[in-house]
Amino acid sequence: MGLFDTLEVSGSALSAERQRAEVVATNLANAETTHTAEGGPFHRKEVVFSSQQPSPFRLMFAGLNHNSGPVAGVRITQVVDDPTPPVMRYEPGHPDANKDGYVAYPAINPVQEMVDLMGAVRAYQLNASAVTATKQMIQQSLDILK
Amino acid sequence: MSTMPILQLLERYLTLTSDRNQVIISNMSNVDTPGYHTRDIDFQAELRRLMNASTTVQSSPALKTVSGLIERPDGNNVNLDREGMLLAETQLQYQLGVQLVKTEFHRLLTAINEGK
Repeated sequence: MGLFDTLEVSGSALSAERQRAEVVATNLANAETTHTAEGGPFHRKEVVFSSQQPSPFRLMFAGLNHNSGPVAGVRITQVVDDPTPPVMRYEPGHPDANKDGYVAYPAINPVQEMVDLMGAVRAYQLNASAVTATKQMIQQSLDILK
Repeated sequence: MSTMPILQLLERYLTLTSDRNQVIISNMSNVDTPGYHTRDIDFQAELRRLMNASTTVQSSPALKTVSGLIERPDGNNVNLDREGMLLAETQLQYQLGVQLVKTEFHRLLTAINEGK
């Protein structure tokens, strides 16, 4: 495993954190959505991270070089619905109101979403600086040729 | 003291440093993965082993989980301060190795140019 594989590890984290930020943005955008294609209000989405092992091909290749590296990136295995029941608000004139006049709104707390978004942004920044560090190391190795 | 050519020693040093860099970066990328435990290479022990190993075939360094870190409720114990410091340290170690390689080649060039 060389320096370029390290870039790949950081890249997997960048893409996972970006996807997490996208999911948070979806939640925020749909905080007041009472009508979806599946029926009922929008359900808050959450991402599930898991650490990723290199592909079998890569392992085989690394084994040939007698240098099977300790690489583990990250990936999003699934996006799950938050099972919290919707919040009922009394709005009798609303077209999605039930027979008692209550409308089901998604149970989304904007503060919680913003904190999650900040976490994703910070983790993204961290991994972006890791990419910069690795790029510098590659550049230094190339400088040997000068 | 090893009798290996200095360039070969430096190559092993650089390989080990970049391997450690990779472990640190993989810790960093798993900062939000539930249940992930920080891993590391025992740099001193591995370096000593590599310096004394005579074979050209190098086995990859042994990975261990780091103990003594505070675990969050989700089972993850990655400490960003630790990883950040180690990343900076490893980068400087790598830079040192590269500079030494360059110096070695410059010495060779000086000999070729008859010291001119």
